[in-house]
Amino acid sequence: MDGAASEAESTAFVALAFGDAGAQGWLERSQSPDGSVGITVGSVVRDASALGALALAPGAARERALDRVVLVSGRNGPDPAVTHFGWPWTDDTHGWTEPTAWGLLARRTLRPTASDRIADALAMFRERECVGGGWNYGSRETLGVDLRPYVQTTAMALLALGDVEPALVDRGVAELERSWRSEIEGMLSTASAACALDVFGSPHAGAARDAVATMTRDGAPDTVAASWAAFALSEGGPWHER
Amino acid sequence: MAREVDPVHPRNDHDPKVSRRDFIGRAAVATAAVVGAAVVGGAIVRTRGEEQLWDEDAFRPPGQARVAVVPRTSYTGNLTGVVLDGLRAIGADVSGARVLLKPNLVEYDPGSVINTDPRLVAATVEAVRRLGGASVSVAEGPGHRRDTTYVMRASGLMEALHNVDAQFIDLNVAPATPVGLRSRYTPLGTLWIPHAVRDADVVISMPKMKTHHWAGVTLSLKNCFGCLPGRVYGWPKNALHWVGIDNAIVDVAGAVRPSYAIIDGIVGMEGNGPIDGTPKQMGILVFGDDPVAADTTAATMMGFDPTRVTYLAEAARFLGQGDPEQILQVGEDPSAHVSPFQPAPGTETVVSAGSF
Repeated sequence: MDGAASEAESTAFVALAFGDAGAQGWLERSQSPDGSVGITVGSVVRDASALGALALAPGAARERALDRVVLVSGRNGPDPAVTHFGWPWTDDTHGWTEPTAWGLLARRTLRPTASDRIADALAMFRERECVGGGWNYGSRETLGVDLRPYVQTTAMALLALGDVEPALVDRGVAELERSWRSEIEGMLSTASAACALDVFGSPHAGAARDAVATMTRDGAPDTVAASWAAFALSEGGPWHER
Repeated sequence: MAREVDPVHPRNDHDPKVSRRDFIGRAAVATAAVVGAAVVGGAIVRTRGEEQLWDEDAFRPPGQARVAVVPRTSYTGNLTGVVLDGLRAIGADVSGARVLLKPNLVEYDPGSVINTDPRLVAATVEAVRRLGGASVSVAEGPGHRRDTTYVMRASGLMEALHNVDAQFIDLNVAPATPVGLRSRYTPLGTLWIPHAVRDADVVISMPKMKTHHWAGVTLSLKNCFGCLPGRVYGWPKNALHWVGIDNAIVDVAGAVRPSYAIIDGIVGMEGNGPIDGTPKQMGILVFGDDPVAADTTAATMMGFDPTRVTYLAEAARFLGQGDPEQILQVGEDPSAHVSPFQPAPGTETVVSAGSF
């Protein structure tokens, strides 16, 4: 077995999906004094504080993580079509769909008073929405070519948006209902879709959940996919009322 | 004083299998010793073409390279035999080696030609086995999609690998280790390199022959981006773009150090590559014992001037051979197979004024 050290993101997923107290404890112990949890590799800082905040128990450690989430922001270049910031995968880079979804979810559910960052995240999702609804990794178009949405990132954005921005959400749910079966080969995509379809009361939710149940009989490809499958099958996840 | 020359470069190696691992292993040890105090933070001030941005003891000066251009118009039929011939032509030594194939698998879009064709990857698995490889696995960390299983299945790669009983390693989630860079084109300082890449005796970079809207072309050097795990660098690996994509290509390729290249030019992509371009029937495979030489040859056949492809020109200073006079063409004459690609928008400056 090729062993590897624990990492913040996957540990946070395990804490959230399986209620693992050991994972939660590891996150708290590994938290930096500035409140962040993540990985630093050379000059690259992969901040997972938003997911960490959602996974940590209520208390000082969670509050420190939330403080950090406020400080982390995407960085924009000269592209005039990209004006809102969101949250990046790594410090000092563009904001992208998934990290922005985690940032928005953490702020919206755990510290909704941070209205500026929430407003920016909502604006970013409006700005990056694909034509017809939904989101991919975070680009609406490249050099004049419209890019299509993905199932996994559309689901992630919808779960973060919750009941705000109804028009955006309606288009996203409709897109997800149209497309989730086209990516049914992937556990991560299908489990994410099942969670979002369930939250928004879609009639597709049951079928998506059944597909996840079938897939999990053969195991899961990695910790993150396994966590999403657990969210889907338990109808749980940090997007539910806390 | 005699200079210590790193023996890693496969082109001149007597035993590339051991030396490649040693190189990355030493870098990993060095990183462990200085982690936290590396060259992080501020930008490196430099003038390309003047300042030396690599450690001399880590990179042997480029010598003569061998490249084989092999005509092939279809992915069906005896593709394994064609790959065998190509690998033999460049003198690829995989006997007893743990071999890792790194195809290009970014995304899936029905009807497009974004990825290295799965049939070529499967054929290469079989060819490496016939050449005596101790083991062969296929590894990639898709750059746009977090759901690698979806991309694997939808693209047909999973089925193709199943048919040849080959293991796939998702580099986005596989165990990884920090490795200190021996070149300094970026301020990255250290990269996370998956153990599967670190521990391979031979890495074969297998890109699709494509245009790229920022870098001009994407071939075996750019393909190395997929070795870095998305769980650190994200989807997309945007940190590599913010430090300058050309700089990042050189540093990442200098860390991964692919031993050989097999470029899928049977059908390439032109125009708005690497994702939204259009298929280009090129009808060739390019094999190289030096990825810089293979990319230089391929770029030229695409109608581009490799000296105008910024990262390729820099890589040719220390990573491999970019001088056509020093690239021994052991297959068909590449000049007979030049077929200009429509450049990606904004990269017209890489178009060649001449040919070979």
